[in-house]
Amino acid sequence: MTRLLNHSMSKMLIYAGIVLAVSIPVYYFAISFLWHYELNEHRIILTDAANREDRLFIIVTVTSLTVLFFALMLTGFIILNKKVSERIWQPFYQSLEKIKKFKLTDNEPVLFDNSGISEFNELNQSLQKLIAGNITSFKQQKEFAENASHELQTPLAIVQSKLDLILQTHSLTPEQYDIVEDALTALSRVTRINKNLLILTKIENNQYTETEQVNLSDLLEDTLSDFAPFISERQLTAEKKIDPDIHIEASRTLLEILINNLISNAIRHSKPDCQIFIHLAGKHFSIANTGDNSLDTEQLFRRFASASKHTPGTGLGLSIVDQICKHSAWVVKYNYHHNLHIFSVDF
Amino acid sequence: MKILIVEDEKDFADSISQYLSDENYRCETANDFRTALDKIMMYQYDCILLDIMLPGGDGLKLLQEIQRLKKEDGVIIISAKDSLQDKIKGLQNGADDYLAKPFHLPELAARIYSVIRRKQFANNDLIHQNEITIGLQGKTVKVNGKEIALTKKEFDLLLYFVSNKNKVISKNALAEHLSGDFAEMMNSYDFVYAHIKNLKKKLTDAGYGNYLKTMYGTGYKWDI
Repeated sequence: MTRLLNHSMSKMLIYAGIVLAVSIPVYYFAISFLWHYELNEHRIILTDAANREDRLFIIVTVTSLTVLFFALMLTGFIILNKKVSERIWQPFYQSLEKIKKFKLTDNEPVLFDNSGISEFNELNQSLQKLIAGNITSFKQQKEFAENASHELQTPLAIVQSKLDLILQTHSLTPEQYDIVEDALTALSRVTRINKNLLILTKIENNQYTETEQVNLSDLLEDTLSDFAPFISERQLTAEKKIDPDIHIEASRTLLEILINNLISNAIRHSKPDCQIFIHLAGKHFSIANTGDNSLDTEQLFRRFASASKHTPGTGLGLSIVDQICKHSAWVVKYNYHHNLHIFSVDF
Repeated sequence: MKILIVEDEKDFADSISQYLSDENYRCETANDFRTALDKIMMYQYDCILLDIMLPGGDGLKLLQEIQRLKKEDGVIIISAKDSLQDKIKGLQNGADDYLAKPFHLPELAARIYSVIRRKQFANNDLIHQNEITIGLQGKTVKVNGKEIALTKKEFDLLLYFVSNKNKVISKNALAEHLSGDFAEMMNSYDFVYAHIKNLKKKLTDAGYGNYLKTMYGTGYKWDI
């Protein structure tokens, strides 16, 4: 790839080269014509040897002078080109740098300096407009998601409370009771999806900015002991190898959600009598559970990719994990190896 | 016992009021900031259920007012906001508990029960229910004067039933109560049934009045 200015410069140099090359015979004929004219004027007759010598002398002088000027032109062009490109294209590179640094999630508009050159100013203005539009629509989308989730909580609460009340009526038949229970089960799923969507939008809205030193080892041990009843209920065994006192700088809330989601994921998708492997070494965490087939890595972290009515999951757990990692600049990976689904996070 | 329900959604306030209104609780409702403030200033309540997002003012201001007047009313915040910061802010402002919407009414009843117990029976932490005596502090349970050993979850369940006596409680509400943040783990309700079975067996072995009844196959009722 060549830079824009080099492109035009090489063309100019080729043109200058051709002009100078053509000028060599022209100079030669012009000078030898003048030389012979002068000789005739003064009636000087040269020997053939002297004549040849003169001709050679003129050719060498003209050629070497031309080459010298071409070399001067070449170096001049290169130096000028560099200077000019630095000067003229500076506003362009500044704008480019700003656009490269721009992230929609930062929620900060890009401000371009006045370059004093109308083309660049026009370009900058258009970019600014484009970016501002993007930011606005992104903001609106986020606000909508957050407001919608919040606004849903109250009607959900009303429905749930009414169902709780129906159960208190005395003339309920077992069939009616079962219908209410089914409705409550579905409702609690909606509630969880709603809560998870709210977490996702909050992460995207940068509402978890407070970080602190968190003892990841302790957090892991605590979470695992919270999950212990569920692990034993499903006849699973947890094989853990956790280095003590690993500290990382993180938002505690987000870290808890991340660990919770990964562990709960491993437990929920394990068949009975299997093992779950949990490792923490340095800033590398991994959790593995057995499974028959590799998961679709393309779909894995997408929202609602895994949701189905047969699992109690919300289909948002892993996309929350992904979002937390993106937000905190951690790297989450999925591997399938020796019949194990392995999720790892590098903090 | 007098309860004030400060909640702008009338339907929701009615549900709560209807569920709680029995021989024990008398409920009043306030649907906006002004009414709530008037009622708080004029009367004494055993427990105030406070929605902090109210038309006409911030519910937290009511909380500060209660503190300023040095009122003894217990306060439970019921809010659509669920973040840790909101909870901490509520509790720092003097609330006794914080419950995020949506919640099951039996859960609310259990929280109200324990807030009132803490506030008014500070010196006497024993709950008597016929032949059953529950010691809150030491988490002890006696049936006919004989102590029975319950796990933390079983003790928790017993309190939950006692504070929702004569109410039908769905397996959903129980699962939510028992699993809390881990509700997503509930592939089945076996977990709930296992705890209830154990609790029932221990109580029956000690000779209690068989108050814990199965309703409609999957629900439960503390029938007393």
